[in-house]
Amino acid sequence: MKTSNIKPYLLLLLMPAFFCCKKVIDVSLTNASPQIVIQGSVTNAPGPYHVSLTKTVKFSDSNTFPPVSGATVKITDVTAGTEEILTETDLGVYATRNLPQGMPGHTYRLDVTAGTSNYTATSVMPQPVTLDSVGFQHNTNFGKLQINAVPNFQDPAGISNYYTFHQYINGKSLNKEFVIDDRLSDGKYIARQLFTDSAYLQAGDVLTLQMNCTDKAVYNYFNTLQQAADANGFQSSTPSNPVSNISNNALGYFSANTVNYRTSMVK
Amino acid sequence: MLMLLTCTAAQAQQKHTISGTIKEKKSGEILIGASAYLLQLPGAHAVTNAYGFYSITAPAGNYTLIVSFAGYAQDTVAVTLQKDVTITAELEQESAKLQDVVVSATKQNDNISKPLMGVQKLSVNEIKNVPVIFGEKDVLKTIQLLPGVKSAGEGSSGFYVRGGGADQNLILLDEATVYNASHLLGFFSTFNSDAIKDLTLYKGGMPAEYGGRLASVVDIKMNDGNNKDYHIGGGIGLISSRLNVEGPIVKDKGSFTVSARRTYADMFLKLSKDSSINNNSIYFYDVNVKGNYRIDAKNRVYLSGYFGSDNLGFGNSFGIDYGNATGTARWNHVFNSKLFSNTSLIYSNYSYNIKINSGTNNILIKSKIQDLSLKEDLQYYLNSNNKINFGFNTIYHTISPGVVDASATSSFNSQALQSKYALENAVYIGHNVSATEKLNINYGLRVSTFSVMGPGNFYSYDTAGNTIATAHYNSGKIAKTYFNLEPRFSASYQLTENSSVKAAYTRNIQNLHLLSNSASTSPTDLWIPSSLNVKPEIADQVSLGYFRNFSQNKYEFSTEIYYKYMQNQIDYKNGAQLRANENVESQLLFGTGRAYGAEFFIKKKEGKLTGWISYTLSRTERKINGINNNNYYPAKQDQTHNIAIVGIYQASKKWTLSANWVYNTGNAVTFPNGKYDINGQTVFYYTQRNAYRMPAYHRLDLAATLIAKKTKKFESSWTFSIYNAYGRENAYSIAFQNDPNDATKTQAVQTALFRWVPSVTYNFKF
Repeated sequence: MKTSNIKPYLLLLLMPAFFCCKKVIDVSLTNASPQIVIQGSVTNAPGPYHVSLTKTVKFSDSNTFPPVSGATVKITDVTAGTEEILTETDLGVYATRNLPQGMPGHTYRLDVTAGTSNYTATSVMPQPVTLDSVGFQHNTNFGKLQINAVPNFQDPAGISNYYTFHQYINGKSLNKEFVIDDRLSDGKYIARQLFTDSAYLQAGDVLTLQMNCTDKAVYNYFNTLQQAADANGFQSSTPSNPVSNISNNALGYFSANTVNYRTSMVK
Repeated sequence: MLMLLTCTAAQAQQKHTISGTIKEKKSGEILIGASAYLLQLPGAHAVTNAYGFYSITAPAGNYTLIVSFAGYAQDTVAVTLQKDVTITAELEQESAKLQDVVVSATKQNDNISKPLMGVQKLSVNEIKNVPVIFGEKDVLKTIQLLPGVKSAGEGSSGFYVRGGGADQNLILLDEATVYNASHLLGFFSTFNSDAIKDLTLYKGGMPAEYGGRLASVVDIKMNDGNNKDYHIGGGIGLISSRLNVEGPIVKDKGSFTVSARRTYADMFLKLSKDSSINNNSIYFYDVNVKGNYRIDAKNRVYLSGYFGSDNLGFGNSFGIDYGNATGTARWNHVFNSKLFSNTSLIYSNYSYNIKINSGTNNILIKSKIQDLSLKEDLQYYLNSNNKINFGFNTIYHTISPGVVDASATSSFNSQALQSKYALENAVYIGHNVSATEKLNINYGLRVSTFSVMGPGNFYSYDTAGNTIATAHYNSGKIAKTYFNLEPRFSASYQLTENSSVKAAYTRNIQNLHLLSNSASTSPTDLWIPSSLNVKPEIADQVSLGYFRNFSQNKYEFSTEIYYKYMQNQIDYKNGAQLRANENVESQLLFGTGRAYGAEFFIKKKEGKLTGWISYTLSRTERKINGINNNNYYPAKQDQTHNIAIVGIYQASKKWTLSANWVYNTGNAVTFPNGKYDINGQTVFYYTQRNAYRMPAYHRLDLAATLIAKKTKKFESSWTFSIYNAYGRENAYSIAFQNDPNDATKTQAVQTALFRWVPSVTYNFKF
């Protein structure tokens, strides 16, 4: 339960008294050989659906990630028995042209051949859950106002549900995934704050909230991704790579998920 | 003539026993570890036990009994030994004028001759001048300045001993287990130094009477209280104050002591007009109470208790309170001059409550761990060369991992995690034998069992963490029992009068395991018992040492090397759900650990300048299935070098100056070896666990104590201190992130805590 993770609260309480100094330092890091990163999804919204292939870079490099071009990328709807080899529409970006719109309940498989390596992943698209509305919670901590988005939706009882959220503020993507599962909330009407460590929402902003219903493996991927991001500091355990659902040690994920959007003015 | 000779010889062999109690003269406090021996028969030697009791057996005759204790003037008593006699000795504290102290030639050198390895003893008197953060004397912080003990972090009372985890220390307060020994996230320990008599730390070679944790035993004894006069003492500091009251219940027969303290750092928050600041609370308080009464020469009873609580509140939206409560009732009984018994009934409880009010979510979470324990310890002083300790201990554990009470409008369901019940039993025997004048051996065996019991469901998991079987057990039915033998052995061989070599082997078993997914421990960490899936943790340790005293025992030097192998160590799967999870055991990974190192310690015990230098060279590694390709990797607390220097200088009758300096290799950490992009978020790529190092840590602390007034009726003093005197920015964390000024770049950002923390404390006693 995220809310019972009390460390951030306690550190906030102690912060003004004790924290003294932050500074940028040089750390000498060894560099791993470039690894393939695969990101792909099929949704219940109309296609095309994209798969992107990139490689990791050194920590000291700029944030431009080399595309992996010329790979063979195939998506199969295992349930319907249809498949398509994707077309590379941009360097390292592969798109479907004919694959029918994603169907909840269907199992999808991704096959990638890049050079001599093969990678495979499967994902099951769950039934959609409707995002009813988005609210806003105002928190004032030590004189600073922070507004958090609150998705409101009914969790279906009796089955495990997994949700991920992505936010677009005034049309610009907030580069962070939020995750919620119903392990402790099965069948409840859920209204939970999407916490971040900074005040990123201002009154008057236009927020588009994207809610995805994913399978357990994809949720686990984003959950461990977020834990690693939080651990990269002092809050939590040793950071590690997110648990991917792709074979052969590829980084990234393949997700068959439903999508749902709500746009509202931040109040 | 022959007959006469035989008769005399028989008479000469008629043996009698001197026994009794050794106490402090002014207060009547019993002295633990005081030494008594016969001048005419130095081999007839005894050390007082935890209740000040000693027993010496010798042939009939006229003797001089010499009683001594570090920091106290030695006492001599003439004894005519024709039958068993009881002698209560009272020692007087040596004058503060250290320069006048004459070094006595008969000074004891127990550290050389006793087969005790990996043992450090600290009295509150000894630590009172060691500078500490916020000026709050703290035994758990002072032990971190000893070899083999490492701090769990900046300003923290948490510690690691010889490569063990923070949960592998058995911390006992008057025999009661303290499950969470820290206040305010570890910046203070739960031990109010006003209430503490002394602390003994066992890093290895634990006597058989101790068991239950792998790495160490920290045995803390509370003061009994002055049984002659009433006294009130206390201290006022910048962030906390303390008060202590003690006195006789019946003069010379019984006494009580009550110590309390509270922090008030949060009062400063109240000064703010901003409700988002003055609505917050952050404080702790604790109370120690102890009373004892001597019924007659053979019976004495003690009652001691501790209660502490931390309260942290974040406006109305979040609040947590947590704390320990312990209680110990003891009965000392002297069966005869050779057989001493103590029976204890012990209660220990640790609990926390969390309140959350956020939007429609109103949630209450409660959790606790509770022990009820019966313990019997017997000491049989067979003769001067043989002492036998034996006894048993039985503990009933109840763990309620969590009850979640959520309002109807909440996003969460109310639920109660199944409580867990376990019965931990042990019997032990230890034999301390002086085999020859030079060879002392202490060997023993602890037989322990641990049974997890119903009512409840017991799950079995496959390696993927899926439940493969569920068995239900009714109340009192045993689901699984673990049986373990824990041999203990230590020996010392005296090379010369001033030097000895020692060796020890110890096996320890741990059946309660702390699950924590934060870097340091948190009040909400979860204790779980051994179960169908979680096996008892086992540690085997061997150590070798060389001990040498110089300049008539003015200086003590010791070095020890150790190797420890640990089995059934616990780690977590990536993304483990430890909170509110009925199947928490499915989230665990298991493996082994090894730790080895060399420790060096030199201490100057007397003179104007006292103090010590401690150096540890060590390695601590773990090998967990599923982590780091199943290879050994350094544990977080693996610090290659660890140095502490402590100096206390008695500048004048009024002023005492002190300083300590610490240095250690940075903790082992995991840093990225590359990066990539996921949906616009820069994600770091990790290849090896704990392959990097935090920057080296070092720090100097200074303190000065001024005795403002010292009369028979009233004493007062001021302590001024500064923590981190040269303002070193020690890295508390290093985070990797996108450069806020240039999104195409990433950077490493170091956060430091605590530069120049000054403090002043006023202490008084009347």
